[in-house]
Amino acid sequence: MAAKINIIDPPSSASSDSDIGETNADFSEVFPDIEAEEEKSGDFYHTPASPITVPYCPRPPSTGSQKSPRSRRQRTTSLNQQTTKPVTDSIIRTQHRTIYTAGRPPWYNSVGQKVEPFVIGICGGSASGKTTVAEKIIESLGVPWVTLLSMDSFYKVLNEKQHNIADRNEYNFDHPDAFDFDLLITTLQRLKEGRKVEVPIYNFLTHARESKTKTMYGANVIIFEGILTFHNSKVNEMLDMKIFVDADPDVRLARRLRRDISQRGRDLDGVLKQYTSMVQPSFNHYILPLMSHADIIVPRGGENEVAIQLIVQHVQTQLQLRGLKLREELAQAYTVNKQFKMPRPDTVRLLPTTPQIRGLHTFIRNKDTPRDEFIFYSKRLIRLVIEYTLSLMSFVDRTIETPQGLHYHGKKMATSKLCGVSILRAGETMEQAVCDVCKDIRIGKILIQTNLQTGEPELYYLRLPKDIKDYKVILMDATVATGAAAMMAIRVLLDHDVLESNILIVSLLMAESGVQSIAYAFPEVQIVTTAIDPEINDKFYVLPGIGNFGDRYFGTEPSSENEL
Amino acid sequence: MGSQDHETSNGFEFCKNYKGLHVLKLHDQIKELQTILRDKNTSRSDFKFYADRLIRLVIEDSLNQLPFTNCDVITPTGATYDGLKYKSGNCGVSIVRSGEAMEQGLRDCCRSIRIGKILVESDLDTHEAKVVYARFPEDISQRHVLLMYPIMSTGNTVSKAVNVLKEHGVKEECIVLSNLFCTPQAVQTVLDLYPKMKISTSEVHPVAPNHFGQKYFGTD
Repeated sequence: MAAKINIIDPPSSASSDSDIGETNADFSEVFPDIEAEEEKSGDFYHTPASPITVPYCPRPPSTGSQKSPRSRRQRTTSLNQQTTKPVTDSIIRTQHRTIYTAGRPPWYNSVGQKVEPFVIGICGGSASGKTTVAEKIIESLGVPWVTLLSMDSFYKVLNEKQHNIADRNEYNFDHPDAFDFDLLITTLQRLKEGRKVEVPIYNFLTHARESKTKTMYGANVIIFEGILTFHNSKVNEMLDMKIFVDADPDVRLARRLRRDISQRGRDLDGVLKQYTSMVQPSFNHYILPLMSHADIIVPRGGENEVAIQLIVQHVQTQLQLRGLKLREELAQAYTVNKQFKMPRPDTVRLLPTTPQIRGLHTFIRNKDTPRDEFIFYSKRLIRLVIEYTLSLMSFVDRTIETPQGLHYHGKKMATSKLCGVSILRAGETMEQAVCDVCKDIRIGKILIQTNLQTGEPELYYLRLPKDIKDYKVILMDATVATGAAAMMAIRVLLDHDVLESNILIVSLLMAESGVQSIAYAFPEVQIVTTAIDPEINDKFYVLPGIGNFGDRYFGTEPSSENEL
Repeated sequence: MGSQDHETSNGFEFCKNYKGLHVLKLHDQIKELQTILRDKNTSRSDFKFYADRLIRLVIEDSLNQLPFTNCDVITPTGATYDGLKYKSGNCGVSIVRSGEAMEQGLRDCCRSIRIGKILVESDLDTHEAKVVYARFPEDISQRHVLLMYPIMSTGNTVSKAVNVLKEHGVKEECIVLSNLFCTPQAVQTVLDLYPKMKISTSEVHPVAPNHFGQKYFGTD
């Protein structure tokens, strides 16, 4: 869908409640193994369209900041309106979290390599305002795609004895030993590589990890917050910026008392006992010394607007240095390549151009073709390209017995693990054909739209079969122009641990430059198409092309075609 | 039965000898479909599913044999695409019963194409094929005919059908047979009799899966 310039309206974006309900209904059949319950509860961590992937876990009375997520969000709402600029209209607020409906811009460069995200570590004592600082940074940054990882997710699972101790308020949750640093390091490392991670959900009643996990994705900015963020040297190495949030001990105690007593229904003695016997000593012994690792110390926590603005400015500068203009770069890369007459890469599989194929192209390329004919003939062409794609799979010999009693030496597809992934919207038109030729095939979806202002593709929505890493993936998009959307989709698949050689990108029409870019960035991805056109115009449409395939197929073209 | 390579080369040998024979470009995917259709352990639903897939491929391929002219069109981007256009005036003719299995495949490619039918039955005593029923579009003599018959083992039935078409004034060179499996003898019989017609098939193999019609329609 590289050729699309439509952009969805914020209210109808993938993150709205009603939409999630619908998709849940759609997908419960296709992916019975995905926890439907999780979706119904209104949690959309696994959809990358919600850029803040904060694991929602009830905090224990004995740890850090304990404001209920609800009250906290309400407070940031009012602050947000004062501090942030145009981002506001792309933010939806739900009961539990803030959702930025803007899509995820490219997190890799024009050769498909990932650009390192900026990782911010926030450390500070319990109730010092770490989360507030994190949220304010996110809001002021205006970066649509941020992942917020909390150290609370990495508490160790307690055995029965420890569990009893915890019940008596005598387990020290503020001690470094309470955390599973190994898991934390692997998770942070993977996030930093832009990969998908499964973050444990810690249940503070059972002191065990729940069987479900939260899926989080890498992002342009990752914020990691917790009381002992700087305790481990390996973690410190991964942090690009270390912030220590400092608050007056009296203020912190006061916040803790208010929170624990009024919101958690605990008694004054219990809270004070825990504070003086564990929270305070741990703070002095473990947390406070970590201040020496910090790049910036923020006194007075979230109220310190000046400090936050300074941090934001620094991060923005850093992001600009790493920033990307992907589509432009792709187009330019091609002009350079063209001068050197790059041979067509050998991963490109072009359908033999029979009269039949040309005849079908004639119908769908003609601007005067009515929609019913357009749909009919593109479906035929899609069927052919899908059949052709299947023939590219690897096969093994198989001998069978015929009803005539003779043996027949035949073939069988080597893998039964085949799944389709369509790039919305135009790629969806190809789903039916895949279902028609492969019984019971699983279909994943990726929504990528072009940002009208930047001209860059952005990732909005993603649903993939759970064990997609074991599959051969047929990635479908009707047209590939610059290849920007296709590359983003391939990058997403790779981030889900799909093998590069297991991906086939299938489309009806590609531009030479898109083919080159994809093949150059992902040399093992097979590229299947029915025609390759030589050029792209300045609107990123293929020439001679077929126009906006999705619009023509679904009948959503603007009244004046020339305005495209 | 010879090795697989031998069988395959059989098909290509025939291609050389008979200009009218066109075998679908063999790749493993088509081989898999053929394997499933020939396997006696294939369930009926699978059989029908994979038969329909192979039929669709054969039909799409047969359409390549029909006449076309060049045709330039303007694309929505304002550029010109140097395309082509199929001539109108084609029709399908299916040989009852198994040929009817291919009608849907043709309909899926050409929505409003006219389809005629021929019923050929073999005489129980003489084993001679006889045309019992034939119904064609009125102006069939002016048209190109896509004759549909999936399994051809002797070629007698098809020969009779072609004969009937010729009697109705269809030119021999305007007949294309769409076929899934045929034997070398059948190709020989038909193309020796009617050298100008064309055959489009997916496999030339000494043994034809004669159970096709029974299994497809579930009358076995």
